[in-house]
Amino acid sequence: MRKADVLRFARDAATAYPLRTSLSVLAMAIGVAAVVVLTALGDGARRYVVDQFSALGSNLVIVLPGRSATGGFSPANALTTTPHDLTIDDAFALTRLPLVRRVAPLTVGNSEINANGRLREVVVAGTTSTYTDIRNFKMAAGSFLPEGDWNRGAPVVVIGSKIKEEIFGGNPAVGELVRLGDRRLRVVGVLKSTGQGLGMNTDELVFVPAGVAQSLFNTHTLFRILIEARGRDEIEAVKREVTTALKARHGGEEDVTVITQDAVLATFDKLLRALTAAVAGIAAISLAVAGILVMNVMLVAVTQRTAEIGLLKALGARGATIRDAFMAEAAMLSLVGAFTGYGLGLFGAFVLRQMYPVFPAYPPDWAVIAALLTSLSTGLVFGIMPARRAARLDPVQALMKH
Amino acid sequence: MLFSDSLTLAIRAISSQRLRSFLTLLGIAVGIAAVILLTSIGEGIHRYVLVEFTQFGTNVVGIHPGRTKTGGTVGLPSSARPLTLEDVEAMKRLPNVVAVTPSVFGNAEVNGNGRVRRVSVYGVGTGLLVVFRAKVRSGQFLPEEEAAAARAQVVLGPKLKNELFGAENALGAKVRIGGLQFRVIGVMEAKGQFLGIDLDDTAYVPAARAMELFNREGLNEISISIAEGVPAAGVVANIKDVMKARHGREDVTIISQEEMLATLGGILDVLTMAVGALGGISLLVGGVGIVTIMTIAVTERTNEIGLLVALGARRQTILGIFLGEAVALAAIGGLVGLILGMGLAQLIGFFVPALPVHTPLSFVLLAEALASVIGLAAGVLPARRAARLDPVEALRTE
Repeated sequence: MRKADVLRFARDAATAYPLRTSLSVLAMAIGVAAVVVLTALGDGARRYVVDQFSALGSNLVIVLPGRSATGGFSPANALTTTPHDLTIDDAFALTRLPLVRRVAPLTVGNSEINANGRLREVVVAGTTSTYTDIRNFKMAAGSFLPEGDWNRGAPVVVIGSKIKEEIFGGNPAVGELVRLGDRRLRVVGVLKSTGQGLGMNTDELVFVPAGVAQSLFNTHTLFRILIEARGRDEIEAVKREVTTALKARHGGEEDVTVITQDAVLATFDKLLRALTAAVAGIAAISLAVAGILVMNVMLVAVTQRTAEIGLLKALGARGATIRDAFMAEAAMLSLVGAFTGYGLGLFGAFVLRQMYPVFPAYPPDWAVIAALLTSLSTGLVFGIMPARRAARLDPVQALMKH
Repeated sequence: MLFSDSLTLAIRAISSQRLRSFLTLLGIAVGIAAVILLTSIGEGIHRYVLVEFTQFGTNVVGIHPGRTKTGGTVGLPSSARPLTLEDVEAMKRLPNVVAVTPSVFGNAEVNGNGRVRRVSVYGVGTGLLVVFRAKVRSGQFLPEEEAAAARAQVVLGPKLKNELFGAENALGAKVRIGGLQFRVIGVMEAKGQFLGIDLDDTAYVPAARAMELFNREGLNEISISIAEGVPAAGVVANIKDVMKARHGREDVTIISQEEMLATLGGILDVLTMAVGALGGISLLVGGVGIVTIMTIAVTERTNEIGLLVALGARRQTILGIFLGEAVALAAIGGLVGLILGMGLAQLIGFFVPALPVHTPLSFVLLAEALASVIGLAAGVLPARRAARLDPVEALRTE
């Protein structure tokens, strides 16, 4: 039998039972579609997080007060105080380091904003003019915090777009006075909306000069110091420089944790990749179940077509030819199922993207290739047993069945 | 037809096509096994987290400075009035309050016995022993004394004690924390880790001394242990009233552990269900398998059906036979899957003790019920097809 004949034989066999064939195809398609949609979801989450981190600025080194004896970042000092405060002066001292491009101190706290007859809880971030350069903020109106003495700071405030919306509505906010805690501050700028962000959504933040925030919260310690290195290659050197400089300033005591953004990002990236792979693996179980179904259907087909096989063998077809014919049918079933599933999966991912535009839900190439290959190979592996059974049939016995 | 006859017929039909039936129920079994395994892991993690949280007692209420509607960013400094040691005293006088402890925490170097170690330092009160169910291994805990005049005494966590003093006696020794001198009066019993924070690598000092050490005006938190069997809501209302009277307005966030556990439990339940649903995709594919095989069975047994109808069997009966067969296939598959899934879960629990697994009975029953329902749903299409067959046509197919 020629190759084309084998294929035609398989195709005719499959189309002779449309319901059965379409159900087998459907089973395979569900499995492949599940893998495609779920990996799209997982990889979308990963890309989203990576994008968010990149939006934080590049070449970042972050200083946290407190350190754990075992080294590295510990949840115990996510929010902590130390006998030697991490001060604005410490942050300013770091600007003199040769490999450091920019430094921004950060103090964070809760307060209430009161203006235009409206009151709202807000998270207040105290920082300096350099912060906007590190984070690449865009202004909707006015300007960011003015430059000036880091320790004193003018009585001004920059508000997030959502805060502006809730307090001033459609009216211009720049130039207005607001009450923050027990201070009166003048609005000098409104940030452009950035949509949902990771952790700190700038739409619901207000920024004041670091000095103002410290007196507002009656504290001398900073929450973080953000440092931008001069280049990508200098990040590790900056980390060392910063640790040494702060140790010298704190009486020889190393009481800060210095982390690089790359390290944090790499951890998240690894975690989310593992998660995506795990989810894909779980979805792939359904491919195995679909494979079992293909095997079952092929077994039925062999039983039903015993007489036909007997006739072929009597006409001189070899066992290998019969086997190829059945393997071709199994492969055809899983291939059609795989591509249908791929189409369905792409459509599912498309719907996801329409529903959540910020979420880049594209299935990764490796997952698509793996899903298609897995479905094809399960089809073939599960096709072996029925095909061998067909090939081994005794022609005389088989013909007698007729 | 008698019910027992239908059952015999279904079983005979299943066992006459052994390989085919086995493969069909294997599909369902794999699906159920996946669901059971994944939900077991989910439930195990759920329980593990709850145990982690309740090791400090379940009737704890925490007061944090500043009011946040969502209870999200607790711990950040706030422009609200600070919580003071006087607030702690006021809480002690409330009814149904068993113990109260202030808490101020920070990170500092502890110098003692010629060694240095950087640890978490907690400023607390005598009430800590009751509120957090902690025990002292040797010596004594911080004594009850006038808060503001508390002596500079420290109780060490067991890990810190070992790092500084090894096997030597630490009681009575002097240690330097930050810039202040403290005398060691006790060593705590080991408590282990909590959410990645080592609770044994700590030092406990009086709250007033910690505030001095960290140069702080207010407390991070006040933790209150309320009497067993008293609903937390009433006590929380009392606390709210007192704090309002003391501070002039409502400027604190009060979180009872009961509430927090309920929220946490809700989140973990959703996660478990989501993971179970992922496993359910395989179950769906298994269901498609049943539809396919039953459809084939109806085609193959057309003349058997014709005979039954010709002998006076009602369409209801025919429908029942095929539905019964589909349900039986799914139910047996479900059982096999249950055994497979639970076995795998136990195996994981045995070889990877770090990953807690737990299979509650309700999940087992639910999964088996789900398998049967899938069988029923998958059987409807082929069974209706069988019931609608024209007896004359059906008999002729031979």
